[in-house]
This record gives sequence, C-alpha cells and structure tokens, in this order.
Amino acid sequence: MALCTRIFSASKAIEILEAYEGTLDDDYPPENERCEHSEMLLYKVSLLEECGLLEKALEELHKKETKIVDKLAYKEQEVSLLVKLNRLEEAAKLYRALLYMNPDNYRYYEGLQRCAGLYSEKGQYSSDEIQRLDALYQSLQQEYTWSSAAKRIPLDFLQGERFQAAVDNYIRPLLTKGVPSLFSDLSPLYDQPGKADILEKLILELEDSLKKTGCFPGRTVKEPPSTLMWTLFLVAQHYDRRSQYGTALAKIDEAISHTPTVIDLYSVKSRILKHAGDLTAAAALADEARCMDLADRYINSECVKRMLQADQVSLAEKTAVLFTKDGDQHNNLYDMQCMYELASGESYFRQGELGKALKKFLAVEKHYADITEDQFDFHSYCLRKMTLRTYVEMLKFQDRLHSHSYFCKAAAGAIRCYLKLFDSPPKSATEKDEEMSKLLPSQKKKMRQKQRKAEARAKKEAESKNEEISASNVSKSGKRHVKAVDPDPHGEKLLQVEDPLMEATKYLKLLQKHSPDSLETHFLSFEVNMRKQKILLAFQAVKNLMRLDAENPLSHRCLIRFFNKVSSMPAPVSDAERLVWSVLEAERPAISQLHQKSLTDANISFLREHENSLMHRVAVAEMLYLLEPNKKSEAVKLIEDSPNNMVSIKGAPPVQLWKLEDCIAVHEVLENVLIDKEAASRWKARCAECFPYSRYFEGIRSSVVSKAYLNNLIDNSENGASNHPELNNSIALNGKLETFKDLKI
Amino acid sequence: MKQLSTSLEGVRDKNIMQLKKLNIALFPVRYNDKYYADALASARLEAVLVIDDEKLKKRFTEAYYSDICVGAIACRLEKKDGAVRVYIMTLGVLAPYRGLGIGTMLLNHVLDLCSTQNISEIYLHVQTNNEEAINFYKKFGFEITETIKNYYTNITPPDCYVLTKYLAQAQPKK
Repeated sequence: MALCTRIFSASKAIEILEAYEGTLDDDYPPENERCEHSEMLLYKVSLLEECGLLEKALEELHKKETKIVDKLAYKEQEVSLLVKLNRLEEAAKLYRALLYMNPDNYRYYEGLQRCAGLYSEKGQYSSDEIQRLDALYQSLQQEYTWSSAAKRIPLDFLQGERFQAAVDNYIRPLLTKGVPSLFSDLSPLYDQPGKADILEKLILELEDSLKKTGCFPGRTVKEPPSTLMWTLFLVAQHYDRRSQYGTALAKIDEAISHTPTVIDLYSVKSRILKHAGDLTAAAALADEARCMDLADRYINSECVKRMLQADQVSLAEKTAVLFTKDGDQHNNLYDMQCMYELASGESYFRQGELGKALKKFLAVEKHYADITEDQFDFHSYCLRKMTLRTYVEMLKFQDRLHSHSYFCKAAAGAIRCYLKLFDSPPKSATEKDEEMSKLLPSQKKKMRQKQRKAEARAKKEAESKNEEISASNVSKSGKRHVKAVDPDPHGEKLLQVEDPLMEATKYLKLLQKHSPDSLETHFLSFEVNMRKQKILLAFQAVKNLMRLDAENPLSHRCLIRFFNKVSSMPAPVSDAERLVWSVLEAERPAISQLHQKSLTDANISFLREHENSLMHRVAVAEMLYLLEPNKKSEAVKLIEDSPNNMVSIKGAPPVQLWKLEDCIAVHEVLENVLIDKEAASRWKARCAECFPYSRYFEGIRSSVVSKAYLNNLIDNSENGASNHPELNNSIALNGKLETFKDLKI
Repeated sequence: MKQLSTSLEGVRDKNIMQLKKLNIALFPVRYNDKYYADALASARLEAVLVIDDEKLKKRFTEAYYSDICVGAIACRLEKKDGAVRVYIMTLGVLAPYRGLGIGTMLLNHVLDLCSTQNISEIYLHVQTNNEEAINFYKKFGFEITETIKNYYTNITPPDCYVLTKYLAQAQPKK
C-alpha cells in the first residue's frame, strides 16, 4: 500500500508508514524479521529525502539507528543527507570512515572531494585546485597504502611533469606484477590532451631500459623477465590506440616470440588486426587464443564475436555452443539471453541475407519483451520480502528498459532491413511462376523434381529431429515436452511481409519514445517517413536532427534531401495537402541554414565551413549530385580532393586523419550513389596504401593478399614422436623438421 | 632480483595448446598430435605413478612463473628386464626465463617422484652439441653412458648422447 501511494506522492507514503509504525510494540521486531523492518525504515528515510525533508530524514535515521541492520547502507544514507544539508565537515569525517572500510570505492573519494569543495564534473581544475587535490591524495595514499584507487585518481587531474612522475610510479609495479588490464585502466587518459605523448615517451623509455640493462631506468634492481613482455604488451596497445597499426603489430609479435604461452598477447593482436581492418585474420587469431584455454568462457565469447564480425556465422555458432548444455543447444543459447543475436543479425545484414537478419533482430526484441514481462514475478516477492528500495529501483529500470543500447541497435537493424525490403522487394510467388514458364519444359521438369526432393528431405529431417527431441525429452523427464520446432528457420516468411514500412514503424515508435536524443533514431525516422510520404513526420525528424547536431553531415544530407523532395512535389490540391504546405512555409524561415538561400547555396556554404573534413565533403558531394545531376564529375572531384592531412605530433611519426570506416563508407558512395566505377577503383587503390592491413581495400599486408601470414598461424607440426630407439628401431623422426633459426609463431 | 612465485601444474586437456606452444618454441623437433593426445590420456592418471605391468604411463608437468607457463617436463615409465626406468622425453624452459631455477624445479619434481617408487634409473637423449644441457644434467648426477650416431634425421649434428642416472633402490627388488 505504501508503494502505491509512493507513486503519487511520497509524503502520503510517509504518513502511512508512520501510522504503521505507531501500531507496533516497542520490542518489535522479533529476531527473524529484523531485516525486513530495517529495510522499511531505510525506505522511509529515503522517501523523506526525496520529499526534501532532509533534517527530518536525518533525525529519523539517528533515532532508529539501533533497529537498522544494514550498517553500510545506513552510513551511505547518512552521508548523502549530510552533504545535501551542507554539513560538510561531518560529511567529510563520515566519508573517511567509509574509506577506511573500502578504500577503493570511487564514489567515496568523489564525495570527499565535494566536501572539500574540490569536485568538478568535467575534471577541469585550476592549478591552485590541482595543488590542493594533490596534497589531499598524497595524504590519502599514505593512509591507505594498499588502495589502487588513491593512486589512480590523481592521474586524472595532474598535468605535465607531475603527471609524468605519478604515472611512472603507478605503472612500474604493475608491470612487474604483470597486470594485463593496465592499458584499459590508463585508456581514459588518452582523451586528455598531451597525456598520450607523455605516456609514449615514458613507456618507450621503460622498454629501452629493460632491453639494455634488465632494470627500470634509474634503478639497479633487476626485473624478472616477464616485465619486458608486459612492457611490450603495453607498448603494442598504445600504438594501437594511436592508430599506428604496423608498429603495434611489430611490438606484439616481439612479445609473442618472447613468451608464446601468454593468451592475452594473442587476444590483443587479434584486436589490433580488427582495428587495422583485417577481420578474417583477427578471427583466426582469436580462435588460436581460444584453443589455448578451452575452459575459459570469456575467450570463447570474444572468439565468437570476432567470427561474427568477420561474417563467419556458422563457425561462430559452432564455437558458441561449446559452452551450452548438451542436447538442445540452439535453444539454450537463446535462453541465456546473451544477445549474441545482435552481432549475428548485423553480420547477416552485411551479407545481404535479410530474412535471417530480421529473425535475429526480432529475437533480441523478444528478449527485451521477456525482460519486461519478468518483472511481474517481483511484485509480490518484493512486497513479501520488504526489499523496498531495491524494488523501486527495479521499477525505474523497467521504465527505461527500451533505451538500452542493445535494444536500440536491434531496432535500428530491423528498421534498416525493412527499409531495404521496401526498396527492393524479394520476388513474389507470381513472379517466380512467370520466370518458370519461360524455361524449356525439360528444365522445368528438372526444377520441379529438385524442389520435390528438397521438400521431402527437409520434411524427413524435421521429422527425425522431432523424434529425437521428443525421445530425449521422454527419457529425461518422463513427460512429453513438445518443443516447437521452428517453422521458419531462415526467416523467409518474415521477408514476405506485406507492408514492411508498417513493421518498421512499430520499432521506430519504441525508439522515438526511449531514445529521443540519438541522431540515429531521427535519421531512421526520416528515412521511413519519406518513403511513406508522411511529410510532416519527416520534417519533424529533420528538425530534431538540426536540434541535436546541425553540423553533422548526416543532418545536412537529410535537410537538403527533404527540401529538395518538397520542392519537386506537385502543387497542393486537397485541403490536407494545402495545410501541410502552409506549415512548411511557416517553418522554413526558422531553419537558419536555409535563410534567404537556395539549396545549392546552402550546400556550398556548408562545404566552406567544413573544407577539411572528409565526411562533410562527401555529404556535400552527394547533395550536389542530387540537386544538379549533371555536375557528377564535379562531385567526384570534390571527394577526391579531400586532404588527408598527416597530423604530426612532436616526436611521434605522423598519423593520418582518415579513419578506416569512413573511407569504406566513401567507397560505397562512389560506387552506389555517384556510380562512378573508375573513381571508386582509384579511391580503393589510394586507401589500400593508407590502410595496408585492410581486407576491404585489399591492402598489401592484409590476409587477402599474403596467404603466408595465415600459414604462420596454422600449426605445421607433422612429425612423429621421438620414440625410444630400443623399442622401435626405425628412426621415428620423420617428416618436416625445422632448425631453431626458423622457429616463429 | 625480485622472486615471483613459481608453481608446477599437471597438464589438463583444456590447456594442452600451451604445451604445444612451448614445445614449438623450445625444441627443434616437432611432435605430432598423437604425442599430445597421449599426454592427455595419461594426465588424467596423475597423482600416483602406479606401475602397471604392460602399460606405459606418462607424466607431463608444466612450470608456471607468476601464472605464465614458461616450462614443461614430459617423461614416461618403461620396463626393462623386470626393472622400471623413467625416460625423459622433453624438458625445457623459455629462453628469457632460464637461470631462475625453474628447470631445476621441474627435474627435482620428477626425481622426487622416482625416489618414492621402485625406479632404478632415469635417462634421456641429448644432442651432442648441446653443452648447456649436458652440464645441467651433470649437476644432478647424470652421466654419459652411450653415444648414438644419426639419431636425429634433419638437424646437425645428428648424433646424441644418452645420459643416465642410477638411483639407489628404496626397497630391495623382489
């Protein structure tokens, strides 16, 4: 009852709780109900907090201290109230007490900083503040020498030389110990300007010193041999982050030849290859890593992920089911709700198999529907167990469930499939018949025979599978579980949907409701509504795009396309149409880009503002072609002239600005939109030089070209075991033997 | 130098690949898949080296240095004239990790096991030019008992020594 009222008004709920408390005896609660009672008290306090009655909440909390069992929650609640009441000194003391219990909790440090007035959301601090923070953390480090958080947090706000000293101190012991996650830990630092260079100088120094003397610079204590390997590991990841893939691969290979038995090295190499664009080699390497520890589920999942990215779907599924229960493997994979269908669906989409892709995306959507339904189990359970605070949080979670990124991706994928279906519908049954009649009668007969055989085979398989399943189920449980055999394994029925746009709209509505701040949502909305001829809805999408990010090439494209379409539509005839027209006329001046300008001019001014950016130029070129189709060569030239400035950072080799995925997108534009095959192949050749590892551009180092690379991965061992000569007189060492010099992994 | 923890583990089927990687890096001889399959079959019979008349049991152990697999030893039991011998098939440590006592640990492990069973001798083959290995084994009391010409086919020199260590009997032979 308290919960229901809570939805309407927290204060009402408090009243009810107090009334309830009034009816209890003093020696309540009995031993076995202490937890529930304490939960209720904490809940009441949190309600008071929400109402803003902070003083009262604090008072309540202190009064009921003896009855509250969850001591940690008590302290955390107290400290949050103290901070809100601005009683900072007391709060600071309490935070220190909390830190004593858990010196690695980042939130306590944050709280402490707030109490000292030294907290900033974006991490921007003046140099004076940095001094004070530094002093604070120095003292904290002294107090909690075993805490890694106290050492890591200063790295975020320190700058320049101090930063270098601190990071040096931080990294060295972790390299000696051999912490594989060191790079992920340092990764956020790369986003802060200047720190990446400092890090580079530092770790190269470490590597150099270890190679020459076996010690860290400035020390005489010899490091164990594994330290060099972990340092090389760190260096490789560093270069990978800075997009210098050649150097990264060289370093990781060095590490691998130093100690070939460490699985993390292979995983990282696989990741570097993926970034560089060679997905097949990445998948092969991930598989090699997986084989080194067959009991590791994480590595198995990573391997499946890489295989799906490389579009090796059936192999991926076979690998994934290694960790499912024997028997009903496929269903088990689905039941685990691991969302692998998302990656699988995207892979099918890339390969153009829309039916299967749709099936996978809809499976993800079903997962989310299941999660929403599952909440009903908790309503009665939570009330019984009185875990009120967690219950309220769960309800909030369910409200936002569909804004989760996996769901967004799946919905976006499904919408894209439907859009594709709309644009190029699959052959309907009647069309197929027409084609058939054009064939010679003998060919027709053969085709029909083939079809009949295929159908019979499929039927037999389905029957035998059914028998198998029911047999195993009968033997297992004695009851008959008739598990529905999937009637449409390849999603063909999904392809035959009558109105793909209507289906797409279903998902679109969910996306719009839960992810209104995502560019993707509005872009998809634009695409769907343009096709449906819903002008105002499309316009709404354009307005949202402009609101979110007007400078984005995507928004620019949609804007121009929309007004181009509108201007080419016939004059409004019906009243409804005239209404639409007038709305558009009224809104058009509000869009600053089009103020007083024609579309072509708007296009050109956009170009002038973003002359150096590849993706912006491509958008302009596309639109130029759309507005004035006879200017195709100009459009192509616009793209080809894009500068690929080498960004040269002091001391480091220059890194190009272009990103691999952007270049792939440009290539597709050249081929499919501007339809200029020669320009496309020129672009491909140019990119092959920039991205030598990319399979898409067939760069010279990618596995498309150099098979030798893949051969190194395949084990060549074909020799017999060295048998004891007395047992087996023939020399058993036959086959290929290689000397020490040629050994390479 | 800082001493990091070292430990020994028997080979399991889940990490047989690590053993393969080690052997590829350490030895000029490539072993085929049957070798590793046998390794697995025997690894499950771990714990105690029970002497069974007709069967030959093998034993594989890997050495870990700070949780990185850096070395391994593989040996098997053989019967000869009623006595039981141990033959070391491979013993090796990755190059950067030598000189840290890991090889010693592996060999001592096997020697300890031998002393608790009725093992009369333990022996192995070494390429004639492998000075380091020969010196290593001599430290443990191994002696060169034989030289076999053209034992290896594709590496030079193709000759090898047989190094043997005779063990005092724990119990009198029956």
